[in-house]
Amino acid sequence: MFIQILNGIVYGGLLYLLAVGLVLIFGLREVVNFAHGSLFMVGAYLGFTVAAMGYWWGGLLVSVVAMAIVGCMLDAAVFRTLRKQDHIVTVLVTFGILLILETTVTAIWGKAYLTYPVPRLLAGTVDIGSSPFPIYRLFVIAVSVAVALSLSAWLRYTRTGLYIRAASTDARVTAMQGINVDRLSLIVVGLGTALAGLSGVVAGPLLSLSPTMGNYILIDSFIVVVIGGLGSFAGAFAAALLIGQIHNFGAVYLPWASTVLPFLLMVAILIWRPTGFAGSRT
Amino acid sequence: MLKGMKACAVAAVAGAVLTTAAHAADPLRIGVPTDLSGTYATLGEEVMRAVHFAVDEANANGGVAGHKVEIKSYDTEAKPDLARRQSEKLVSEGYPILTGLIASGEGLAIAPLMERWGSIYVSTINKADELTGANCVPGVFRVNTQSAMDAATVKPWLAQRKEKKWAIVAADIAWGRGSGKLFAEAVKSVGGTVTAELYTPANINDFAPYIEQVKKSGAEGVWVVLAGRDAVNFAQQSKQFGLTDAITVAGVSFTTDGTVKTLGAAAKGIYGIINYSSTLDTPENKAFVKAWVAKYKSPPTNFEGETYMGMQVIYQAVQAANSVKPADVAKAMPGHTFDTIMGKLVMRAEDHQLLKPNYFGVVEDVDGTLRPVIKTTVSAKDVAPPVTCKMASK
Repeated sequence: MFIQILNGIVYGGLLYLLAVGLVLIFGLREVVNFAHGSLFMVGAYLGFTVAAMGYWWGGLLVSVVAMAIVGCMLDAAVFRTLRKQDHIVTVLVTFGILLILETTVTAIWGKAYLTYPVPRLLAGTVDIGSSPFPIYRLFVIAVSVAVALSLSAWLRYTRTGLYIRAASTDARVTAMQGINVDRLSLIVVGLGTALAGLSGVVAGPLLSLSPTMGNYILIDSFIVVVIGGLGSFAGAFAAALLIGQIHNFGAVYLPWASTVLPFLLMVAILIWRPTGFAGSRT
Repeated sequence: MLKGMKACAVAAVAGAVLTTAAHAADPLRIGVPTDLSGTYATLGEEVMRAVHFAVDEANANGGVAGHKVEIKSYDTEAKPDLARRQSEKLVSEGYPILTGLIASGEGLAIAPLMERWGSIYVSTINKADELTGANCVPGVFRVNTQSAMDAATVKPWLAQRKEKKWAIVAADIAWGRGSGKLFAEAVKSVGGTVTAELYTPANINDFAPYIEQVKKSGAEGVWVVLAGRDAVNFAQQSKQFGLTDAITVAGVSFTTDGTVKTLGAAAKGIYGIINYSSTLDTPENKAFVKAWVAKYKSPPTNFEGETYMGMQVIYQAVQAANSVKPADVAKAMPGHTFDTIMGKLVMRAEDHQLLKPNYFGVVEDVDGTLRPVIKTTVSAKDVAPPVTCKMASK
């Protein structure tokens, strides 16, 4: 039972890392980023390539830094340029980016599944109760909790964090107060994309790598974002943990319905509280 | 009325022109709907490699009975509804001989439409018994091993094993359900018990809840009916949980060449059904493997071998019929003996199942590389499933 709860937290933690990136980007640019799953996938492949040379932690670093740069470029080249257009235009463009990234990765690494190694430091299992539990899974929990804590501290206690919260509430009014929202959004989209890269690497040893790996997990992340509230960071955390538990206990106790449970919850939330768990900022 | 008559006349003329044009140089057109981007995308890649190999080989030798071979392929994402649409598109574009679908549900979805489309389907990967059993139709043929044949192969192995408590982890699709049920029956027939029967939905990421249930159930062995991405994810995660080392792991379509290559060390010691292996010791297979290695630099995988066999069967049926029309090809198939890489095999007339031998083996280290190694061979006669098809009444 306890192990099943832990498993739920692991999957929830992964979903949180992805979902919070979506929330960050949506808050500033009001764009639902369809390319987020493929950025997660690219992050995993970059990390894998370095890890295959024997530098697992180097892979983690390379992936996060490279994806942060990609995120900044994405913001400057796409989101900023298209900000005066209808949002649907930007959404379609992100879908196009998804297709380009998938095709590029297929061309470089091929379609065959690749297995990401577990770092030597975190290999093996520890006994919890009397049941062996992979150490790596505990690491996944630690990473997501660390990201959640530092992200909320940053948003709450720093000046940049204050600006971001303000801009997420109303970008135009924030700009009128003399804050450079474009620069802010460069940081935020870069950070969100770096988190996608981080979750790609962290998820690597759990999931097999394939050019479509992002699509399978992005749907769950979108559910998390909708349930948590589109602009809410804390809401995303709570919703991710909830979906993780539903995923696990659904598979154990209601196997015939396990795949629809998250969707049912999403429908219920949309009827009961259309703005999500935590509500929206406006 | 007059307009209708006119249209009829035009159609008749056009038809006549088409049939006259369609003679001597008529190409053999094969449609290959397969999964190029879904859960079984790597299997789809193997299918395409084998199809291209067979087409190039035939065309280099002047075609099949003088007919040049042409193929066209569309992506089905292993989804039955999409498979139906893509197959219909291929047929309407002039590729009425179909092969290459991966998931059994896809084959079952198009089977009832063969008559209406005027096409035929040669299964090379679909394992659900129904395809040549309860749902059999005159236009569908199966070259690969069906689940009942796999079950007949696993029974003697099961009888000599000491594990009596088994858990089953299977894909929640037609193939997984069917194969899981047959395995449960096989376990009961040798006096064992099934402690957990778990069916996993398509495209899940985390198998942890299922691995945990297998452990909890106290099973001494686990039978895995997963393929492609699912197989890799399950094997990788159960290795991390220490399950693979604690209990016996065996499966069907699990110890495939592709999965073993991806998994590396995590695959060692896994038992499984082997439907085709590049190590088979027949002269035809040796020649095929040699030509294959010359082209692709590595030996053919099980799915590549099976798909190639499907192409061999189509070619030889075309030769026997001396026609590329699906109806003629279909007539030439039942009861015909085919000369394949697995020897001379008969397409059973009653249900259109090719009767072939089957194998059981384990993943072992062979000269530094891990690969499935055949340990037991069961003859075509011994695995032949009972005929449940009632084609005549249809």
